[in-house]
Amino acid sequence: MAFFEQLASNLIYGMLLGGVYGLATMGLSLIFGVLRVVNVGHGAFIMLGAFTAFWMFTLYSIPPIASIVMALVIGLALGYLIFMSVMRRLLDAPELSTLLAMFGIGIFIEELAKFFWGPDYVGYSWNIGGISFPITEIPFTKICAFISSIIIAALLYIWFQRTKLGKAIRAVVEDREGAMVCGVDVNRIYALSFALGIGLTVLSGVLVTLFTPVGINVYMGGDYTLKAFVIAVLGGLGSPWGAFYAGFIFGLLENGSYTLLGLIPGVEPFGLTRFVSFAGLLVILLVKPTGLLGGE
Amino acid sequence: MRRYKPLLPVFAIYVILLIIGATTPGLWQPIMFIMFYIGIGVALNNFLGLTGYVDFGYVAFLAMGAYGMAVALNYFTELGFGAVALGFFLALLFSALLCIAVGGVALRLRGAYFAIATIGVNEGLRYLIEGARIWGGSEGIVLSGKLRKAFGPDFANYLSTFVADVCLIIVIFVASVITIYLINSRVGYALLALREDEDAAKVVGINVTKYKLIAFFTSAAIGSLIGASAWTLKLTYVFPEDVFFIHYTVEAIVIVMLGGAGTLLGPVISGLIYGALKYYLSVILPGFQLLAFAPLLIIIVVAFPDGIVGYVRKKLRGKSLFEYIR
Repeated sequence: MAFFEQLASNLIYGMLLGGVYGLATMGLSLIFGVLRVVNVGHGAFIMLGAFTAFWMFTLYSIPPIASIVMALVIGLALGYLIFMSVMRRLLDAPELSTLLAMFGIGIFIEELAKFFWGPDYVGYSWNIGGISFPITEIPFTKICAFISSIIIAALLYIWFQRTKLGKAIRAVVEDREGAMVCGVDVNRIYALSFALGIGLTVLSGVLVTLFTPVGINVYMGGDYTLKAFVIAVLGGLGSPWGAFYAGFIFGLLENGSYTLLGLIPGVEPFGLTRFVSFAGLLVILLVKPTGLLGGE
Repeated sequence: MRRYKPLLPVFAIYVILLIIGATTPGLWQPIMFIMFYIGIGVALNNFLGLTGYVDFGYVAFLAMGAYGMAVALNYFTELGFGAVALGFFLALLFSALLCIAVGGVALRLRGAYFAIATIGVNEGLRYLIEGARIWGGSEGIVLSGKLRKAFGPDFANYLSTFVADVCLIIVIFVASVITIYLINSRVGYALLALREDEDAAKVVGINVTKYKLIAFFTSAAIGSLIGASAWTLKLTYVFPEDVFFIHYTVEAIVIVMLGGAGTLLGPVISGLIYGALKYYLSVILPGFQLLAFAPLLIIIVVAFPDGIVGYVRKKLRGKSLFEYIR
């Protein structure tokens, strides 16, 4: 019985985490969908969000859930700055250039963070109780993170469907020449989508810390970059909604398979779970590159 | 022979570097450090430079080489020098196997999808080794004690200092010859067409898959030999988190781009600059080399997409020096 209890509690945990994974990947997918740029520096922006939460809490005792606004503003500004200074010049360049530029920017942010904040792990403790179930107890912080990511995703959905700018972004994703002909200022949409993508990523960095409040480190992002790639491909690269749903699938599969692989004697379940997820990535890329959920 | 003239400046740089290293006390290790970076630049250039495909998982081939050598030295220690030879053979074999696996999956993809798939291969392989506890799992393979016991401290020392360096140097010389051969041959012309426009190349009747695979295998083989000699043989240990470290791939990509992708001299000059800068920055600014490199990378990508040698070649067009620089 103990095993099923553990599996159930891990699956609940996986679903809550999956919501945050989904939101954390939407920015990556949005940027790829609109600009065809793979943000290989993704993790660095997650890390910035995590540190925003940490500093706001430590210095001003602002609850992390409130610093998502701050993180969004920082991310939007940073995204706009990066677009205007670097990405704008690379729009017609081959993919190699944008990949390398994003990688360089990611490293630069990480190293700058290390220069100012040091290489050590830091953390905070924000305890607001939890809900007790017969099998496990779930802290409110994680539920907060889960609910916020659903609310943010829902707001984004409405924004994309109803507003003129949202529609323009969707038009550029569908067909950029067509959008241009219809009078959409494509460069402005590029700038906006890039800023929004980075903003979302930094914001989700705040939510990530609600799950691992003591795992904040300047190099914490690498892990999230790789996971985000798997999730983005799972949901169909370039589709933010696909990415959001795929986040749930990934969270459930990750935690579920971790529990199951732990049953096999002589292996390290942590490493094998990663292996399974990357093997899955390759299979999806090969069999159905438009993603499990999408189909164009 | 005219076509091989560009090898002259390349070999001149190698020889001068080695002479400086051998005659100046205390400079041999820095020179070998630089040679390693030249080596991975030249090796990756044979694929990335010639085809334009970004392989973010390139370090996996060095890792396969490192593991090939480690497995040979660990399980066949009694063979002596034979174990080293077997190690190089296993390095080539493992990397070729990985090539077949990656070639079957990732090389069907293009652009961003290819780049992501190669990251997947690199990380997947690393976690397979760690998770399933293959070859020592995350504890890796540590050879120094075993080598000392089997060969005696003198010979073990000789292997890790002298033999390892000589092997790396030979590999680098051969790698440059292979690059110029590829550039000048039918393969090079086919790859040039492929790099400019893969669909057009296909329509003209070029078997793009075949040529991509040739470049991929060559580059992987050189990479695995570098991994076997510069890592396992020299350091006498292999840890998965070291040999699959994605930063090595990125460093190699930076070197190829900085020098000029697809050129012969490019990765040599930029490997020299990169290695020397990195070595001295790690002395002056320990821990913050990357802080200096990241902006450099961004500037190169934005302002000099052709790299150093690409830029120089444009300036030299029509002059007599032109045919020496490729």
